[in-house]
Amino acid sequence: MAGYLVRRLLQILVTLFLFITAAFFLVQAQPGDYSSFFALNPELPPEVQAQVRANFGLDKPLWQQYLIHLRNMVTGNFGISFSHYPQSVREVILERLPRTVALFLTATVVSFYAGFFLGKLLAWRRGGVVEYAATIAGVGLFTVFTPWFGLMMIWLFGFKLDWLPLGKFLDPEVWRDAPVTANQVFAWMLITAAAWSAFLFVALLAAPRLGWRLGAWPRLAGVALTLALVAAVWNWTGAGYLALDILKHLTLPVATLTLISFAGTMLLTRNSMLETLREDYIMAARAKGLPEKVVRDRHAARNALLPVVTSLVFSLAFAVDGGVITESVFSWPGMGMTLLEAVLSEDLPLALGALSFVGVLALVAHLVADVLYVYLDPRVHYQ
Amino acid sequence: MAGGAPAPPPAELASSPDSVGVWRARLRLALLGFRQGWAIFAESRIGLVGVAIIVLFGVMAVSHPVLMATVWDPSVYDPVTGFAFDRPDHPAPPSWRHLLGTDPLGRDILSQLTFSTSSAFMLGMVAALVTVGIATLIGAVSAYFGGPVDAFFMRLADLIIILPTISLLIVLTALFGINLFQLALVLGILGGFGGTAVVIKSQALSIKVKPYIEAARLAGGGPFHIIMVHIVPNLLPLSLLYMMFTVTGAIFSEAVLSFFGILNVRMSWGIMIHTASTGGYLLAGAKYWWLVVPAGAAITLLCGSFYLVGRALDEVVNPRLRRR
Amino acid sequence: MSRESTAPEGRGRTSPAGVPATGPAPLLQVADLAMQYRTRQGAVRAVDGVSFSIQRGQVLGLVGESGCGKTSVGFSLLRLLPDNARLVRGQVIFDGQDLVLLKEEEMRRYRWRRIAMIFQAAMSALDPVYRVGDQIVEALETHGLLGAPGAPLSPPFPYASLRQGKGGWGNLGLHPPASGEGRGETIASDSPSSKGGRALVRRFLSVGNARGDPRAQGRARVAELFHLVGLDPALMDRYPHEYSGGMRQRAVIAMALACRPDLIIADEPTTALDVIVQDRILRELKRIQQELGLSLLYITHDVAVVAEVADEVGVMYAGELVELGPVQGVFSAPIHPYTAALLSSFPSIRGEKRPLAALPGEPPSLVAPPPGCRFHPRCPYASRQCREERPPVVVRDGHWAACWHPLAGSPWNEVAAPHG
Repeated sequence: MAGYLVRRLLQILVTLFLFITAAFFLVQAQPGDYSSFFALNPELPPEVQAQVRANFGLDKPLWQQYLIHLRNMVTGNFGISFSHYPQSVREVILERLPRTVALFLTATVVSFYAGFFLGKLLAWRRGGVVEYAATIAGVGLFTVFTPWFGLMMIWLFGFKLDWLPLGKFLDPEVWRDAPVTANQVFAWMLITAAAWSAFLFVALLAAPRLGWRLGAWPRLAGVALTLALVAAVWNWTGAGYLALDILKHLTLPVATLTLISFAGTMLLTRNSMLETLREDYIMAARAKGLPEKVVRDRHAARNALLPVVTSLVFSLAFAVDGGVITESVFSWPGMGMTLLEAVLSEDLPLALGALSFVGVLALVAHLVADVLYVYLDPRVHYQ
Repeated sequence: MAGGAPAPPPAELASSPDSVGVWRARLRLALLGFRQGWAIFAESRIGLVGVAIIVLFGVMAVSHPVLMATVWDPSVYDPVTGFAFDRPDHPAPPSWRHLLGTDPLGRDILSQLTFSTSSAFMLGMVAALVTVGIATLIGAVSAYFGGPVDAFFMRLADLIIILPTISLLIVLTALFGINLFQLALVLGILGGFGGTAVVIKSQALSIKVKPYIEAARLAGGGPFHIIMVHIVPNLLPLSLLYMMFTVTGAIFSEAVLSFFGILNVRMSWGIMIHTASTGGYLLAGAKYWWLVVPAGAAITLLCGSFYLVGRALDEVVNPRLRRR
Repeated sequence: MSRESTAPEGRGRTSPAGVPATGPAPLLQVADLAMQYRTRQGAVRAVDGVSFSIQRGQVLGLVGESGCGKTSVGFSLLRLLPDNARLVRGQVIFDGQDLVLLKEEEMRRYRWRRIAMIFQAAMSALDPVYRVGDQIVEALETHGLLGAPGAPLSPPFPYASLRQGKGGWGNLGLHPPASGEGRGETIASDSPSSKGGRALVRRFLSVGNARGDPRAQGRARVAELFHLVGLDPALMDRYPHEYSGGMRQRAVIAMALACRPDLIIADEPTTALDVIVQDRILRELKRIQQELGLSLLYITHDVAVVAEVADEVGVMYAGELVELGPVQGVFSAPIHPYTAALLSSFPSIRGEKRPLAALPGEPPSLVAPPPGCRFHPRCPYASRQCREERPPVVVRDGHWAACWHPLAGSPWNEVAAPHG
């Protein structure tokens, strides 16, 4: 198993290398002189131009520029952003990457969980109006034009119902006299979320070993209790209202991205379940006298999960793309919106950096899905 | 003929009277297979719904040039340069002369909608054909030869699968200013070397081990002959299935890029929404619904219909999904 | 129907005709069982009026070509039917209880606990994502056979006795029955790893803390079962894909024995294995069946296998039982031409040399089975009567068949010359 993972990791690294190379030459090959773009940009003062030239080796031959580019990628030196001058590309990315990761991670986890759960139920109760309606709704969400769907969500929740803000990261009104910066608050929110999920995960693993067998409702109550506790702590720090503002802005993009990604998982789970239900070990599980729910959850769904996780590999790139689109529609200042802005304002260093990091995000997600699969399928170890 | 194989090419075969019978038999078999496939396909209602929607869009695509030539005055109804002089201010709500209203620049929405249909079809078809052509060939070749050829194409496919396509396309289109046809080619190439090739290769592998391939090889068929005459035709059903999914992806990608306003096209559904969005009409809520709803619904419906047809075809190609 | 006049003891109306009901009440009595699948083409009558019974400790073999409804009988007994199938009539009286009338939840308690099953494809009958031992423990847990210290087990778990009562089984509340004593030495003798396995079990058991700990109890049980079927107990922590075909089959048998059922339905348990492994597993199954006094319903297309394991044999054709009786009687003097044809298509078990005859044609569609005798399209003796009227029941030498032209004497001689 360790050998397999090491091999996958190496493959991913090679892929990353190829991707960065491709991105570099893509930018190089664009019509118009790359170096003049960089060095002669009138927005940059002369000394900065000189610095840029040295930094990227713009007067050296292409292959040397390429090597310098690779070195810069490793050291994280992406140069200076034109449109965000005097911020460096690294600063822009460091600020925005967590926002994208938060959006992407929440949406992916929630949509996977919900999609799997509903797909399981759909396959189990085959036929009837519910399945038909759910399939239609699923296909609709799966194929809906993402920006249009985002706009519809904004119109419904932001405008018609006026529950949530229309877009952007925060409300300047709220933050006018804030004692801390939005980035600090957001970082603490991420830390809180990570700690909370880790706690729930450990509790989930520990409970059966301690002999606690809780039903669905006590479990939900427990989760709600910990949530309330977290909220109380935030309120006590005095930054609760700021976090709430960011949370409000986060809700609509997350909901949109979740709805879009969830349909694919649901439809796939349904198909996978239907195939699994024909397997002999499902019949064997029934013959063993297991209650239907156990047959469904412990045997059918557990096996149906495998192809769904495999397809996660395909859908992750799709979800990252979906994130890019969603961010643009909601003006959520993450990597996707940064990429689009950079491209539109011809800020090439930023575009290259953002594209590279979107690629890194997709690759890391891919690796995580791989590890998950190895963990879930005992047969992989021996391939 | 590769490999100096004695087997004559099909054209020569067809010239002798016996082989005419062979080809007739093959044709009959193909027709039979098609009829059986259609019977299964027709049972799935979602597939029929998909076909119905595609036909509807086909009618729309055809209607635009016809209407422009007969009823619609180009100076008023041209999707890009027209202007509706008959309305005082724009965007104007739907009226009898402009069934779906006009856009902020005074152009007829229905004309834009129908005009864009044919380009969406064109884009989808080109992308799908390129994808499936490349993927089928690569799949067959990889499966037949195996070894380093296979390893190379499959690693390449892995790479493309992981890439966030839209993000890459955003950079590509913005830097190079590509047009619709070039976009279709790029999408087709990305798809053909990507996931579709993997799926088709695994199918080709199962065909490769069938007895008739061995028989053809024993009869002296060279690799080229076997791949083109025996493997590729048997891959076509699956290829057709993946064409449908490719069309969905291609139309979607085009719409997204147009929506961002970075694609070099005159008019498309994505641009219609882009126009409304940049004009700030979206935040007015449902008041200017005709600017967004028709185009968004068109993209969603056409993508959805090809997806539905693909799903129904899936049941034909993959018997395990059938309802008993 | 005219059948009534010619055969007052028609099949599907009473207990198996011609076999006098002697001795105690049978463990399982199936009467006029009928099951149908609904399909696009119409109702498939997979099982159509089948009646038979199995005594305690007896083996009934069910033979027939593929697609004649043998497997459907097995699944009907457990009421494990797909959505589009249903039992249309009949009774399945198991230990005095009609299973057909039970609610689903009550039926569930019968499955595995009282009636277990060995599946056709052992390869795929084990869930690939769980350890084999855990899958067996799951069955024990489901039926409440693990738990509190000294929990009463009924009926007592008898397998410990087979390994001569060593190792503190009293902790588990097991009471070795007298009948099983002294047989332990023969067990698993063909398994190369059995020595190491045994040592491992001993070591495992010597810890002696199985009391009260369901997990340890479960593992001890699985070790015992593995031992019984000749598997190294260390294998219980492996996954199914790490097993060979023969090992999987043994594991599946161990799983079927886990809850000490009264009846095991074995559906072609050895078909997928190579001949040598097949034979070995067959012998072991037979041995275990005899030692534990199990009843067995052995479903197969292989006449030779039935001759080896079964006490009685039922021959199925097109969803119906056409001949039923003691193996000796049926095989030495079949009444039904189909039985004779089936026998003659297999090489003789006793080494008698004769040409093998393949039966032409295929079993009929069960959507619209042929009228009259269902075998008539393929029967060399078919007459007008066969085509139009249901055949009567003919009783001879303690077994019965439903046929208008019963054969007399040995099939090898009589195949060409019908009697009557």
